[in-house]
Amino acid sequence: MQLPFLPFPLPAIPPNVPTEAYLILGGILFALGCMGVMMRKSVITIFMSIELMLNAVNLIFVAFSRQLGQLDGQIFVFFVMAVAAAEVAVGLAIIIDIFRSRRTADIDDVSWLKG
Amino acid sequence: MVFLGVAALSVASALMMITQRNAMYSALFLVLNFFCLAIFYVLMGAYFLAVVQVAVYAGAIMVLMLFVIMLLNVAQPEPVDRRLGLVRPFGVLAALILMAELVAVGVRYGTSAPVTEVSAPSTGSAAVVPTAGPRPAIPAMPTPIANFAGAADYGHTQQLAAVLFSRYLFPFEVTSILLLGAILGATILARKRPDLEDAGGVRVK
Repeated sequence: MQLPFLPFPLPAIPPNVPTEAYLILGGILFALGCMGVMMRKSVITIFMSIELMLNAVNLIFVAFSRQLGQLDGQIFVFFVMAVAAAEVAVGLAIIIDIFRSRRTADIDDVSWLKG
Repeated sequence: MVFLGVAALSVASALMMITQRNAMYSALFLVLNFFCLAIFYVLMGAYFLAVVQVAVYAGAIMVLMLFVIMLLNVAQPEPVDRRLGLVRPFGVLAALILMAELVAVGVRYGTSAPVTEVSAPSTGSAAVVPTAGPRPAIPAMPTPIANFAGAADYGHTQQLAAVLFSRYLFPFEVTSILLLGAILGATILARKRPDLEDAGGVRVK
């Protein structure tokens, strides 16, 4: 395909990748995020691992949206992104607050809610 | 093949993200991972989501995270720790089992359901509930340029907006209230508190 404002033709869209490939990839990414939550001690890294898990789920949403030919999955990804933004804002505020009062970002030091 | 290369890159960046001891590096690897996911969205015809992924996730959210990492100065490598020594290996083992299960689900999905010929994709406004049975073949994705030309195609931003502001109007409004609440909560939580200023002596602007 040639565009008037581009000196070179656009590359063709590659052939469809089957949905199960995206399922497997999303599963691997989700499990890696889960592993990050399990093994890390820094609150911020755990937070980023949660973002990784949310993104893995988003990927599978879009893959099934394409599989079924419906846009509802993409709408849901949109909502997940909005909720993730809200979650990051509040979570980072909590982290800042904890760090300010306790001077730590280590989850093992933040255990004073334990009964 | 584009998919395999980007998939390998995304898995590698996710691995680097969870294994890096420096929070700053793991944040940057996460940004790389987000860009990989944006490429996948383009491959699947979700062009609007690809742009939102780069702008909102890689742009806004990760900048916020990097900002906090720099603000708290937790970029130093975290120390190797002593407590909960036994819990973490079991956690990693459980995550590996979860990965095996999820991959098995994907493989089973690929091998069990027969692919049949199908109909043109609906644009999502029809309330079609997918039922069990042979799954349809994936419709061919339109090129982005075809979308710009105004073709009524799957994944077009206009189609997405039509669904979002009709069937999903109420969740959309609820999301706006959620964001408002998040703004207020974050502002209240992160505001300057003189009573806590002495506890750690951390200077937060």
